[in-house]
Amino acid sequence: MFSYILRRVLATVPVMAIVALFVFSLLYIAPGDPAAVIAGDQASPEDVEKIRRSLGLDRPFLVRFTEWTWQLLHGDLGTSMFTGLPVTELIGQRIEPTLSLMVVTLLFAVVAAVPMGVLAAWKVGSWLDRLLMALSVIGFSVPVFVVGYLLAYWFALVLDWLPVQGYTPLAKGFWPWLENLILPAIALGFVYIALIARITRATMLEVLSQDYIRTARAKGLGERSILFLHALKNAAVPIVTVIGIGVALLIGGAVVTESVFAIPGLGRLTIDAIVRRDYPLIQGIVLMFSFLYVLVNLAIDIVYMALDPRIRY
Amino acid sequence: MTASLSVAAQAAAHYPAAPELPDILPPVRIRRGLVGFMWRHPTMALGMSILALMVCIAVFAPLFWTVDPTALALAKRTREPSAEFWFGTDAFGRDIYSRVLYGARISLLVGFAVAVLASLVGLAIGLVSGYMRALDGVIMRVMDGLMSIPPILLAITLMALTRASVQNVILAITIAEIPRVSRLVRGVVLSLREQPYVDAAIAAGTTTPMIILRHILPNTVAPLTVQATYICGSAMIIESILSFIGAGTPPIIPSWGNIMADGRTLWQVKPYIIFFPAIFLSVTVLAVNLMGDGLRDALDPRMAKRL
Repeated sequence: MFSYILRRVLATVPVMAIVALFVFSLLYIAPGDPAAVIAGDQASPEDVEKIRRSLGLDRPFLVRFTEWTWQLLHGDLGTSMFTGLPVTELIGQRIEPTLSLMVVTLLFAVVAAVPMGVLAAWKVGSWLDRLLMALSVIGFSVPVFVVGYLLAYWFALVLDWLPVQGYTPLAKGFWPWLENLILPAIALGFVYIALIARITRATMLEVLSQDYIRTARAKGLGERSILFLHALKNAAVPIVTVIGIGVALLIGGAVVTESVFAIPGLGRLTIDAIVRRDYPLIQGIVLMFSFLYVLVNLAIDIVYMALDPRIRY
Repeated sequence: MTASLSVAAQAAAHYPAAPELPDILPPVRIRRGLVGFMWRHPTMALGMSILALMVCIAVFAPLFWTVDPTALALAKRTREPSAEFWFGTDAFGRDIYSRVLYGARISLLVGFAVAVLASLVGLAIGLVSGYMRALDGVIMRVMDGLMSIPPILLAITLMALTRASVQNVILAITIAEIPRVSRLVRGVVLSLREQPYVDAAIAAGTTTPMIILRHILPNTVAPLTVQATYICGSAMIIESILSFIGAGTPPIIPSWGNIMADGRTLWQVKPYIIFFPAIFLSVTVLAVNLMGDGLRDALDPRMAKRL
């Protein structure tokens, strides 16, 4: 068991190394001279050259990459070109809203999508199945910010049930925090729900045609315990895999959702960084999100063992 | 004789008689041609007709009573939809109806270009990776690395490095989509090269390039076509997202994402600025996805049952 976990953990190392190399190369080939930016408009060419040497920007690629990786391993993502603050500090200030949004969306989407998929598979071919699958095609087709504006317009502006925009930290109470996240979470979760519901239905259909399901029916087990105890448990591995892969959708979508709902999180920081061409900051954010994504999928690899005792390699 | 008849009569009295069969059964209608196609694949037909309509709109945008989509008219800004401005005007007085129709050009161009480019490059990488075991490990580790950067984030980052232009948007989204395509092609190739007919071809002395060309390549077309359709839809969504957050097509070009970005600050008072491009974008992507589902069902009947 520990060798399995160890092997999974080790397998993420080359992936993370390639991500780091790729992200570093992006900064290396980025147009514009960071030294000139830091020196300002008034600086003479000699000053720019001096700054470049003091920053170590004149050294070869491999030397800089090694040094950068060494700093990265010590938790140093560099300094923002625009604000002069450490990138880790900037990310730390903005991480709470984004993580809150993603966790709430994840929970909400799984709770909504899995029963939808199970129902659709149980009543396969019925109007309910068709309706749910039609909704999932629509979910794949409507961009997250369109859903966001529709929800904000109806439930916040017209009906006035929920706040339009903004974010309240969790420290100020659970309900004020959640209230601001309901609409963004539904908007962000839309495509995610479609994805999970589809894969749940597909795997459930496969499992429901197995012999042991017929046996369970024959011995008179209730439909509910057949569906949720026997079938869903055996369909869990592909579903959990897709939940992990779909986190990429959540990360990409969070950037846009935060912009629609004026949530001061990492998405807003990303957009600001792009507008200002603050490359170290962009680099840090992309690295952070990619490592988060790799770690989520590592966690899911380990969860497999609990779900399916056959997985032991 | 009479006895058996009476038994039959009794039986007839007890059991309801079967309805009489008509002399000639109604002929089974085999539908051919366009009608038959629509009958067999209704979702694909619906998707294709909507898409055809959008292509018409994009190509013949000047004929649909549009005006110059970039013409500023500050005196007429943020007009509600009316007989003069069918979809209203934006904050610079530009006619949203014209902008939305011209915007179809950008979205469709980006969608098709990314689908074709990503398929071709992904096909090449997948073929090499699936057939040359020595390179497989390296290529797939690189793809794993690229795949662990969320695609929208990767596209945003690439756009931050370059100037905003339609070509760069196409390139950025293509790079973000390539890993998935090459994974798919590699999987297909790996399962195909175990097939007996590939062994037979090798035994008959067929050269490796010929095996790839004749035996492997044709079998990747079906899954690749389905995947390309989905990529087309997702590329249109990513383009609109990039433009919406200001990292996509240059603001001067009327794309659906740009029109919505222009309406962002005014959405609470003038929601129609966002509403019309949103409807066009969603319906177009929906049409492409319906086509993808239809293609998948038509090309791979096993998948049709599963998904």
